[in-house]
Amino acid sequence: MESAIPTIVDGEVRRLDPRYVELQKRVGWITTGVLGALCGIGLPISMFIVRPTLLGFVLALTGVVAVLGLLAWWMQRWPALEYARASYRVDQAGLEIRRGVYWRQVINVPRSRVQHTDVSQGPFERQYGLGTLAIHTAGTEHARVELPGLPHEVALAIRDHLLPRNLIDAI
Amino acid sequence: MPSEHRLHPFSILFSILKQFGALAVPMLLLIVGMGTDQDRWQGYAVVFIVPYALFSVMRYVTFRYRYDDNELVIRQGFIFRNQRHVPYDRIQNIDAIQNVLHRLLNVVEVRVQTGGGSEPEATLSVLAIGDLEEMRRRVFGSAGVTARGQGAVAVERADGETADDANAPAPAAPPARSSRTLLRLTPRDLVLYGIVENRGLIVIAAAFGLAWELASMSNVVERFLGEQASRSALRSAARMIFVDGGPSIAAAAWLVVGLAAFLIVSRVFSIGWAMVRLHGFHVQHSGDDLRTEYGLLTRIVQTIPRRRIQTVTVRQTPLHRWWRLASIRVSTAGGKEGEGGTGRREWFAPVIRADEVDGVLAVIAPGADLAAFDWQPLHPRAARRAFRRNLVVAGILQVLAVALLGRLAWLAAPVLVAWALQTARWFAAHTGWATTPDHVAFRTGTIVRAVTVAPLVRIQSASLNESPFDRRTGMARVYADTAGSDGGGYAINVPYLPREVASTLQQRLSAAAANTAFQW
Repeated sequence: MESAIPTIVDGEVRRLDPRYVELQKRVGWITTGVLGALCGIGLPISMFIVRPTLLGFVLALTGVVAVLGLLAWWMQRWPALEYARASYRVDQAGLEIRRGVYWRQVINVPRSRVQHTDVSQGPFERQYGLGTLAIHTAGTEHARVELPGLPHEVALAIRDHLLPRNLIDAI
Repeated sequence: MPSEHRLHPFSILFSILKQFGALAVPMLLLIVGMGTDQDRWQGYAVVFIVPYALFSVMRYVTFRYRYDDNELVIRQGFIFRNQRHVPYDRIQNIDAIQNVLHRLLNVVEVRVQTGGGSEPEATLSVLAIGDLEEMRRRVFGSAGVTARGQGAVAVERADGETADDANAPAPAAPPARSSRTLLRLTPRDLVLYGIVENRGLIVIAAAFGLAWELASMSNVVERFLGEQASRSALRSAARMIFVDGGPSIAAAAWLVVGLAAFLIVSRVFSIGWAMVRLHGFHVQHSGDDLRTEYGLLTRIVQTIPRRRIQTVTVRQTPLHRWWRLASIRVSTAGGKEGEGGTGRREWFAPVIRADEVDGVLAVIAPGADLAAFDWQPLHPRAARRAFRRNLVVAGILQVLAVALLGRLAWLAAPVLVAWALQTARWFAAHTGWATTPDHVAFRTGTIVRAVTVAPLVRIQSASLNESPFDRRTGMARVYADTAGSDGGGYAINVPYLPREVASTLQQRLSAAAANTAFQW
């Protein structure tokens, strides 16, 4: 099983798939677009109810556009920052994930503690050939550790590697 | 096919009573609101009681459980049928709860806890006493044998006696194992417990809650304690203190007397609560099981298999230290401690003499010797960071105080700063970590101090966390996730470590977890 993908379990530090940045940017555009559309509907209605002066109207419009613009800018910028800080490493002991831009985290999930794993693909992920790996342990705070942004076949390979084996698994 | 069992027929009664409990207040309100119209009273009684009675009967009729070779199977449901399989070796503990009525009728409510979630996996309300004993024997007897079968990779090398007990020939054999008392609380201990842990507030809060409910029905609250009244009382008090040149000596004396009276009364309540709730508290150690029994009115029996213990915490308040006492808490996977509601579980040892702690630890955390830990300090600048953090809290308190009470509240500033400084010093002095070949330990606290010990085999994953503040000062936090950490502070969660030390510790913990097999 491991010989099929000999390259993953080598203890090398790997980046996520760069296509994940594209995917998140696209999600960002969609989110901004939906919010923009909602504002486009909501603003005229609220104007109709409140009936502000011309100045008030201009201020409200500027405010909404500014907030939306800031949000759009942030959602286009954030994925690259996140990508730059995220990496993973698979070895015989288990999986190590590093991530976080401001609040950084290194988490090691030993292979012997994996209860079960999921690989999921949303519609956009399918389009980009990406997948999300979720590892479940018997823990509490980290009972579910997610690693999104993997090429789908890599996610499957890691899953196969982490699958609980009866040999050492005492449960 | 093993035969199926039913609940005790009294289940119907308890089920109805339980539904009543939830509806008692709305029903009372309705009945009172309706006045003394006899017909309506009966009408409402029918509306409320009949559906629940029917529901309870259906529940009793459809509820079955049976013991398969490796699992407990529970079937229930009339329209939506549900069959639940609970493997014996996943059952963490079996709790038995008996309130006064249960005891009069000689039945018991049983809660079966597994590792998943905080809710009991199965609640069997109610069983006859004999059925509970059978369940304990079937579940834990068989689990003990399974665990021994997997002993090749097992961890509990420090305790030869576990293996001996598990060697008992057949799981069907009655538990003729020798048992010894690990801990017994005398009435004197309970008095001490009542003083040390202020549980009196529970009683007072409950009394207030009841009074509020009764009073709100007759509009007493609005009349005497209404918003207007309490607001003006606060205002006049504030004026007395800050405008009239400080409180008069008489008023201050009254305040002191009132506070003292409140403290004394709440402690008396606390002692009373302890005497009732924890009456006859004792922990029995037989084989691999730890069996805790307590309660004067509601009798509670908990059985925790020793191998299911995830972490152990020894905690001391200043009063504990003064009287050379401590309290011990254990976390097992699932069935969180310290939650509200009737399912709340008490500390493993609510109070214990400090010199007895080692004896208990030898049983529940073999190989963990508190005195032998080589405690490692935090980052040298940890105290400074804690001080800065405390100053922020103090600043917020100060701003609030000034906003509420006026400019004179600035007088509190020096006190707040001194508090921030002292607690930061205590924090840095009493926080530390230690590792042994088998355990990791974390101690922390300023006024209330606690030591938490986790066997390395219980660690699920280890993480290293850096906040922006951590990175500026070259520090990091290490957290070890276990199946039994209950979020409330007593986990292995070491802050303010030097970055390099933190990295080494995290690698060490995850490597230790990776090289051992986890056992439920």
